[in-house]
Amino acid sequence: MPLEFKTSAALSLGVELELMVLNTHDYNLVRGAPDLLARLEKVELDGEVKPEITESMIEVNSSVNANYDDLRRELKNVRDAIVVAAQRLNVAVAGGGSHPFHKWHERRIYPTERFQRVSALYGYLAKQFTVFGQHIHVGVENGDDAVYLTHHLSRYIPHFIALSASSPFSQGEDTSFETSRLHAVSSFPLSGRMPAVRNWGEFNGYFDEMQHYGIVESMKDFYWDIRPKPEYGTVEIRICDTPLMVETAAQLAAYAQTLSADLLRHRVDRALEPMNRVYGYNRFQACRFGFEGVIVDPEHDRHVRIRDDLIETLERLGPMATRVGSSMALLALAGAAARQANDSRWLRERYMETKSLPDVVRMQAMRWRDERVAA
Amino acid sequence: MGSTFLPSLPLQFSYPLLFAVLLVAGMLGGEMARAARLPRIVGYVIIGMVFAPLGDAMSFEPLIDAGRIFVDLALGLVLFDLGRRMDLQWMKREWTLAATGLAESLLAFGAVFVTLLWLDVPAVKAGIAAAIAMATSPAVVLLVVQDTRAEGQVTERALNLVALNSLLASIVTTILLASAHLEAKVDVDIALLHPAYLFLGSLALGAAVASVARLLARTVEKTKDLHFTLIAGMVVGAVGLAIMLKLSVILALLAFGLFSRNDARSHDLLNVNLAPSSRLLYIVLFVITGASLPPSSLMIAGTAGLALAAARFLGKFIAVLALAPFGGLRLRQAVGLALSLAPVSTFALLLQHDVARQYPDFADVSTMFLAAIFVMEFIGPVAVQVGLTIAGETAPDDDVGSTTGRHVARIPGAEGSR
Repeated sequence: MPLEFKTSAALSLGVELELMVLNTHDYNLVRGAPDLLARLEKVELDGEVKPEITESMIEVNSSVNANYDDLRRELKNVRDAIVVAAQRLNVAVAGGGSHPFHKWHERRIYPTERFQRVSALYGYLAKQFTVFGQHIHVGVENGDDAVYLTHHLSRYIPHFIALSASSPFSQGEDTSFETSRLHAVSSFPLSGRMPAVRNWGEFNGYFDEMQHYGIVESMKDFYWDIRPKPEYGTVEIRICDTPLMVETAAQLAAYAQTLSADLLRHRVDRALEPMNRVYGYNRFQACRFGFEGVIVDPEHDRHVRIRDDLIETLERLGPMATRVGSSMALLALAGAAARQANDSRWLRERYMETKSLPDVVRMQAMRWRDERVAA
Repeated sequence: MGSTFLPSLPLQFSYPLLFAVLLVAGMLGGEMARAARLPRIVGYVIIGMVFAPLGDAMSFEPLIDAGRIFVDLALGLVLFDLGRRMDLQWMKREWTLAATGLAESLLAFGAVFVTLLWLDVPAVKAGIAAAIAMATSPAVVLLVVQDTRAEGQVTERALNLVALNSLLASIVTTILLASAHLEAKVDVDIALLHPAYLFLGSLALGAAVASVARLLARTVEKTKDLHFTLIAGMVVGAVGLAIMLKLSVILALLAFGLFSRNDARSHDLLNVNLAPSSRLLYIVLFVITGASLPPSSLMIAGTAGLALAAARFLGKFIAVLALAPFGGLRLRQAVGLALSLAPVSTFALLLQHDVARQYPDFADVSTMFLAAIFVMEFIGPVAVQVGLTIAGETAPDDDVGSTTGRHVARIPGAEGSR
């Protein structure tokens, strides 16, 4: 049976944010999600807050928004509701792509049938998957557009990695990477990128084949960096670490929206093969070096620093940003790129100051609450 | 043939050897209990009971006197750890927590007091016993939490309530001791000054030690090893000072923990995990507790002891359940929380020991009390374990996806939204 692609308003916007739940004495991850979710059930919110694979994680799903301003406002409201509930329970919540010092084996799988099944199949990978990402959904009108955007947004994946990177520490060590979270994703068998199908028809052929082999049952089985999401009628970008503040999350979503708008308006007809060949290398450069990474641009046959490429792109998108209402967001991102200020750098600076990862996490939680951080 | 280099007979048993025997035997007993799916503490206590007659046979001083230093150090660590977990900010935000603590302490006090009056115990004695009964055993709760790796609201609330009722119990006991002084026809000055000295002095000592610890912490690198050494040293030092100054070890260490908790202002002290090394002392603590509980008390005052323990638990249970809905706790969580408050404090044993030494006519209450402690030393740890389990907060024995996964060859759709 072919997958039906549900139409949604073009360029509508939504995000999913995975967040960490922490205790307030040593700021390790804590089994707090069930109590926190029970409390939040009683609060009227746009969007929803849901459980994730381990009991130290929650996931915020925004509702569908038309533009950056609405999304930002909604995310702030949800954030405030979570902060209030967490304070009553004496737990803290924070952004960031990885918890700097938790031990993966101490995590507990959320007791639902589905998560238990994942854990049974994937063994330790399931608990190591206690990492925190942001997924961005951009609405498209049909499956062909979704396939088109999935391919051509991948050119910009290094930008999203550098901008959102917030997991320099893992299992108590500095990984030397700007983001260590993506390694946890790469271990899964169906991670990576969508194959070179050209339209929704071809995608359906590919999906049928995989289903016939018994490898997948639904779209959820693909862990790709970018994937079409037919149930929502969106393209889903899954590469970002959860930023430390909701403002950044909204800005990243706005950037994805503006890029999509531009790609849909000025259709490009680049060959997919060269882009696919450099994809892994470029992705590594961004994960390892962030803004300072040097990527290959096969279209112009050049090497370019991610920061320069990003600023160039943001400037080019100016007029489109005005049209979709994302100018302020793009301006903020350009400023961050120019200053090379991403969350990984912020976290490393806090560590330099305090020499203590629990203190870093404490400040991470304050930043999420939007409190001024005094070191 | 007497050689001077050989030990003279009879051989003299020494403290290090005593410590070693209690420790290793206790550890083995704990693992046996574990094999029977019981809390390890039950094993430690049983080992102590087995060892007690042997100690008598070798004409030992009562173990509780000989091992008092181990007991004080262990309690020092427990109370410091507990003080650190106590969160006044949280109690401010979540009023039901402090309210529950007050209510369950008061109801337990009332229930025990009335029961003892009904058993014809004089009011002052009944009051002291009831005050001691307010406290839940910090050591039992902390150890069961560690053993079951419990995490969650019930665990956090239980630890905060235990800190609160221990604090209340030692304050009220101190005050009531003043009345005991009066009854014993001691000077009024002393009767008033002694509790004041105990209370304020212990608080001041805790605060002072915490300040020194912070100062020292700032001079060294913020690593776990260094901060562990610092904290362990300060805890032992605080116990020593409290004994030297004749202050309350309980109050002083609880205060030290509370004052060294990281608040919004200061983050000098790392929150190091004391559990692995303090386990050594905890084992000895419970073995000695077991050895100090005379089974004879059960024969003499078994029924009264049971009545006392039951009344106490009922008081706590009613208070926790009545206030649970206001704190957003579900029924299972509320029952779990109430069960976690069941263990009678080991320091009750010390308190009654100290009180009985000062006031010999406290002995009849003591026997009842000992019977209650005797019973609860077995039921208490089990109650905490059951409570945390029904609240769903203990770690599953084996939650790592084991070999069963192999049979789930096709897991399509398994991972949901990720």
